[in-house]
Amino acid sequence: MKKYSRSIALAALVISSAAGCKDFLSGGELSNDPNRPQIVTNRNIFVGIQSATWADYNSDLSRLSAMFTQQILGAQSQYIPLYQYAIDENATNGFHSALYGSGGLVDIRKLQQRSTDAADFRMLGVAQVMEGMVIGLGADYFGDLVYKGALQGGDPTLTKQLEVYDSVQAVLDQAIANLASTATTNSGPGPADLVYGGNAARWTALAHSLKARFYLNTAEVRPAAYAQALTEARLGIQTEAGDYHSVWSGRGGETNFFYQFTNEQRNGYAQPNEFLWNLMQARNDPRRPVYFAGPVDPDVGTQVDFGEVDDPTHPQQIFSADENTLIWAEAAYRTGNQAEALTQLNRYRAANGIPSGAQAGAALLREILTEKYIELFVHTQAWTDYRRTCFPNLTPTVVGMKIPGRLFYDALERQTNPNIPSAQDQPTRNQADPANATDDFGNVCLGQ
Amino acid sequence: MSRKSRFFAGGFLVALLPALAAAQTTISGRVTSEAGVPIPSATVFLEGMSLGTQADQSGNYSFTVPAARATGQTVTLIARRIGFTSRSTPVTLNAGPLALDFVLALNPLHLEEVVVTGAGTSSTRAKLGNVINTVDSSLIRRSTEPQNVVNSLAGKAPNVEVRSQSGEPGAGSSVKIRGAATILGTNQPLFVVDGQPINNDDISTDQTLTLNQPGGGGEVTLNRAADINPNDIESIDILKGSSAAAIYGARAANGVVLITTKRGHTGPTRYSLQSTTTFDKVIKTMPLQRKYGLGLDGIPFVCGGVGCAVGGLQNGSWGAALPAGTPTFDHGSEIFDTGRTADNNLSMSGGNDRTTFYLSGGLTAQEGTIVGPNNKYNRASLRLKGTHQLNTRLNVGGNFSYVDTRGKYVQKGSNTSGLLLGALRTPPEFDNRIYIDPITGLHRSYRYPRPALGSETRTRSYDNPFFTAYSAGNRSELGRFIGNVNLDYNPLSWLAVKYTLGGDYYNDWRLESLPQSASGFPTGRVVRLDINNLEIDHNLIATATASWTPNIGTTFTLGQNLNSRRQRQTSVLGTTLIAPQPFALQNTVSWSPFEARSLQHVESYFAQGTADLYDQLFLTLGIRNDGFSTFGASKRRHNFPKASLAWIFTNALGNADQQGLLSFGKLRLAYGETGREPTVYGTVNAYQEQILFGSGYGDLINTSQSSQPGVTTDITQGNNNLRPERSRENEYGLDFGFLDQHVDLSLTHYNKRSTDVILRQPTSTAATGYFRRFANAAVVTNKGEEIVLNVRPFTGPLFSWEVGVNYGRNRNNVVSLAGAEFVNFNNEGFTGAIGSATAGVGVGVVRGLDFIRCGRNLHIDYDGDGTVNDIDAECRLSPASPGTFANGALFIAAGGLPVADPTDRVIANPNPKYSMGYSTTARLGKLTFGALADVRKGVTIWNGTRGILLRFGTLDETLVRERTGTFGKDWATDVYPTVAGPGAGTVAFATANDWQDWFLGEGGGFGTTGAQFVEDGSFVKLRELSVSYSFDQKWLRDRFNFSTIDVRIAGRNLKTWTKYKGLDPEANLGGAEWLTQGTDYFNSPQTRSFVLSFSLNR
Repeated sequence: MKKYSRSIALAALVISSAAGCKDFLSGGELSNDPNRPQIVTNRNIFVGIQSATWADYNSDLSRLSAMFTQQILGAQSQYIPLYQYAIDENATNGFHSALYGSGGLVDIRKLQQRSTDAADFRMLGVAQVMEGMVIGLGADYFGDLVYKGALQGGDPTLTKQLEVYDSVQAVLDQAIANLASTATTNSGPGPADLVYGGNAARWTALAHSLKARFYLNTAEVRPAAYAQALTEARLGIQTEAGDYHSVWSGRGGETNFFYQFTNEQRNGYAQPNEFLWNLMQARNDPRRPVYFAGPVDPDVGTQVDFGEVDDPTHPQQIFSADENTLIWAEAAYRTGNQAEALTQLNRYRAANGIPSGAQAGAALLREILTEKYIELFVHTQAWTDYRRTCFPNLTPTVVGMKIPGRLFYDALERQTNPNIPSAQDQPTRNQADPANATDDFGNVCLGQ
Repeated sequence: MSRKSRFFAGGFLVALLPALAAAQTTISGRVTSEAGVPIPSATVFLEGMSLGTQADQSGNYSFTVPAARATGQTVTLIARRIGFTSRSTPVTLNAGPLALDFVLALNPLHLEEVVVTGAGTSSTRAKLGNVINTVDSSLIRRSTEPQNVVNSLAGKAPNVEVRSQSGEPGAGSSVKIRGAATILGTNQPLFVVDGQPINNDDISTDQTLTLNQPGGGGEVTLNRAADINPNDIESIDILKGSSAAAIYGARAANGVVLITTKRGHTGPTRYSLQSTTTFDKVIKTMPLQRKYGLGLDGIPFVCGGVGCAVGGLQNGSWGAALPAGTPTFDHGSEIFDTGRTADNNLSMSGGNDRTTFYLSGGLTAQEGTIVGPNNKYNRASLRLKGTHQLNTRLNVGGNFSYVDTRGKYVQKGSNTSGLLLGALRTPPEFDNRIYIDPITGLHRSYRYPRPALGSETRTRSYDNPFFTAYSAGNRSELGRFIGNVNLDYNPLSWLAVKYTLGGDYYNDWRLESLPQSASGFPTGRVVRLDINNLEIDHNLIATATASWTPNIGTTFTLGQNLNSRRQRQTSVLGTTLIAPQPFALQNTVSWSPFEARSLQHVESYFAQGTADLYDQLFLTLGIRNDGFSTFGASKRRHNFPKASLAWIFTNALGNADQQGLLSFGKLRLAYGETGREPTVYGTVNAYQEQILFGSGYGDLINTSQSSQPGVTTDITQGNNNLRPERSRENEYGLDFGFLDQHVDLSLTHYNKRSTDVILRQPTSTAATGYFRRFANAAVVTNKGEEIVLNVRPFTGPLFSWEVGVNYGRNRNNVVSLAGAEFVNFNNEGFTGAIGSATAGVGVGVVRGLDFIRCGRNLHIDYDGDGTVNDIDAECRLSPASPGTFANGALFIAAGGLPVADPTDRVIANPNPKYSMGYSTTARLGKLTFGALADVRKGVTIWNGTRGILLRFGTLDETLVRERTGTFGKDWATDVYPTVAGPGAGTVAFATANDWQDWFLGEGGGFGTTGAQFVEDGSFVKLRELSVSYSFDQKWLRDRFNFSTIDVRIAGRNLKTWTKYKGLDPEANLGGAEWLTQGTDYFNSPQTRSFVLSFSLNR
């Protein structure tokens, strides 16, 4: 009997230790990640999209744009080959994927759905402007883009670049309509919107400006787009208060990307470029000390710093009233209205402390394009304008090479979607900007 | 009543009362081998009475049977020692002395050795149907790096690949058993100490925060198994294949390392003091040129003014030849001096008929080879292990250890504040030793030689290495408790129950800081990290034994395992120091916190049956059923079966006495399945609320901005159907003994196929909105052969000699990655050379760009003229061999230079094709010689350091600037032996400036082409050469009361034969947490050591 009682006690121990733990494998911190949120608000998502969009416009791409247009010089390490156009499918640093993931289209669409469900048409309109802003930039840099079949699984096909631009125009139109809504359920982003504070009128003006920019970006193959750009620019951002730019607090993770790159992370990689410096010096441009801190001569060897553009809290432009004015000026000129073009150019000059002038003809166009090149310092649009106009007529940094006409899709996208061609099978230029044989002034285009 | 022990509760003090003289029986004698040599440590015991002792160094033994238990009965007295055949004799216990000598026959195959087979089960080596390699305490003590138990496995067993991160104090080591089976997380085996799983994490401080440096910056990281004092270890059993490891189910896909600690033995109390002193020197320093100074285009650059900074392309040593008499400095060696390690261990063990104990204390103090006081690792450990027999059926035991480790580390690797990065880029004429400007007292470096007042928070571009070495502020302080209580209960003669309840708890306090003006973060930075880990393990097994006939014996085991692992990591990044000191969070301007908590549970059951038939056929069948909280909810439990068969065919041939030409022969067949659990919370879909990356250059943005809270969808999609990874492995082998067991040979072939391997499967972001998705999608195979040969030509009493060779070959392949071509490992490497798993190649291979080569059917517009060039057609334009080209030849464009190929591909495979270990031991009387060599072949390594030093013109090789050069003739011929194309044979480098321009651009480390810096990393290393002498003379006992004194002199890592041009083919940028083990980017060097060791025993 004693023997048996031992065995029973043993069996009981085994059984109890198993049965006593019914929920031993699930529940609590076993099943729920204690580190990441799963329940969030619409404004949380809005702020995430806002950050991601600022990163798209103000991080690496703006610096690539500035190197290709010789505003800055790639002076060290990986920036030397990039300055010499050695781009590959890793050169975008994941930017292509960022269009869609984490703060990109996936969250923009989530916010649109949630705003629709909540009948918050102001937030919906804002999210649609964000969509236009992000996808339009993707079309600028990559051309054909997965867009129509995006976020629906499977192997989505590429939508032609011009179709993407058309869809961007359509979504911006919807945004403008929704931003006009006066429904009482409208809440919008409010203070989460660090630029406009949720102001619907300012978002509407931004939408018009974006429409103007993206019309302009198609005008090389669709001359009629200049007239459309003109119409939109007239409705776009008119004063500095309407500028859309990143807002930096200066705290960690909340500072100017250019500052982070040139001061904290990769000191000496990017340096002031003689080409832009000399141009501004020759024009006695009042912004030169804002851009650059001293004389530029890469052979001197002393490190020349940038000006206040790389202060930690200096806002980085995404769409300025100045750019809108210059789009207006160029579109007016291209549609035959030189008087309106000069008026806008002088309005721009007045806003920037530059004496007004009375140029006409080709000289007027040259002035408009020159001012825009200077205005778009370390800005994604500078390279896009160059591809369209071949202005300024840059000499490539490597003899015999052309200035890149587009970026490759990310390696990640190419290996996960069979509809993305390999790097060597991708076109060298996009549908909307064939190579220019000459610039607008009849000179042979050196870089295209 | 004789001897009696008493545990004082609370103090763990053991008082041993002297024996009382009574009518007791004293049994004594001597144990020797057939050759007449004493066999120290032989165990002599009375079967079934828990009475016995161990022989001393002279083979003498003596123990007493209490009068109460010596009742005239006849019992069996057994003498046993690993490596010998045990002998037994019946004795009758009457009062008075009994003298019995034993002569044991050599049995070098360790066939009767008890082998721990895991989860509380054991077997004898003869009966094993699979390979379990054992490393015993004498080999561990002799091993190359006694600080880290993982290093003691190096070279000891085939296909057990050990790599240490560097020779720095506190550097971690990784071990990979039979290749990599997994591509997410680590390939480290499960470590089990005395039946209890322990944590072997390898967590680098800056890895926990997604910080600005790419992987490989920061400091060395220790793998946590190094917390075990190697002197406490009795033996290590390595369960390699899935059949052996299946008893650990879904935690065992990378093998299991079972560590058994020492225990006390009945008999007189023994004391042992071991004292080892080691002197370390770095094996190699980078060969640097001392002829050309700072500058460009052969023009010196003098940065003489206050506040002058060296920028642009002026920062290399491409200036003029230095005037004669200019003092120059060896920047590769001046930052190193002699390191020293003192390792002291004191142990005490013993016991009486019912109680045994083992008590030890160890102190290790290591001063590293880097100059300055911030390069050290100290460990203090205590262990108490005891058993007590409560009654004839029940034994209780406990095993408690506490370890305190403290380290101070130096910033290293890929890090502008890293030691070698700044040191090796410095031009030869700059005196780095003056790292503080004498006028301002501020940090000066060659790129900022005359710091201006007010530049306290200005970057120095690269830190002066002496500034790095003397900047305190990188520390780790850890306290760890590992302990268990266990019960051994034998309620019935045929039933044994074993229970173990163990806990492993540690708290690791970390500080990592960059002082003001450090180039990594000029305004200063403090990272504080606390890691708090708790693992509780409950293991209960019951084993029933039955002998049906004398020829058929069976056992049946049932077990239950419950395990809970809880980890808390809390880190805070404080940026911008307020005052220069202290390195404390409140002395920084802004803080970013990060917390990672996790909890994982396991509930498992296992069953195992064995059958021993006719003493020649041994069959094992088993299954483990695992339930893990990390498995997807759709299927919570999974089975892992195993089976093995061992047939000693020499017994069938009637050769059971193990004599003759074929003295032993065994055939092994085994099959098993093991698994690996998914990453914790891999089943969950969530948002992220921290950092969004801006670019690969480290500039970043938080999701929240200006106090407005923001989130974004996580880049990785969760998957609630996750299953464990599953490895199925077949293993076949033959074990032979020849010539009366003077020779033994073991042959093994295995074939492991791992399916359902979890990866963050890359997904089309455009299609899904996610970058990656957790998926059971990949298939990885490892196939290989293992050979172990030991020859003992002499086994005489005066002279004996033994030679051992082991050979392991493993072929690792990634069969499928769910359609993807490759998966990059985040942060493991650089954009130019990044670690990956690549389908058709393997795990841990390095990807990057190559130059354009002929025969790849490439059509690339390499000259950027808008027209696509047909490369192979142009290869035929070679002036030397028009119309033909060799496949793989380097394409040389007109002008004589190669051109980058924009296609990303595998450029290096650090997985060895095969590895070998050679060991030999020769004994002449009391003098013993030992040697150990290690061979690794077929390894390629990306030497990023060399590429960068070519760029900076500091490498010795850049003296090539004094000559003209042609690709394929004078440059890169080891990587590109053949060239073709229109420029083949054209002199590309006519002047020093041509060389300079090439190295500043595509031909240097900042170019895009990583493949040009891939080198053969094969090596042969003489790991150890040692001589030891054992004093056991009578005067030692009479005068000093010591039984033996051992003296040992050894050298380790004395010589390396390798073609590798970097510091060491073994050094690895990451630690054990990296799957990629072949990237070199300013890695710290390995060390060569001189070891002097004394051991006093009584």
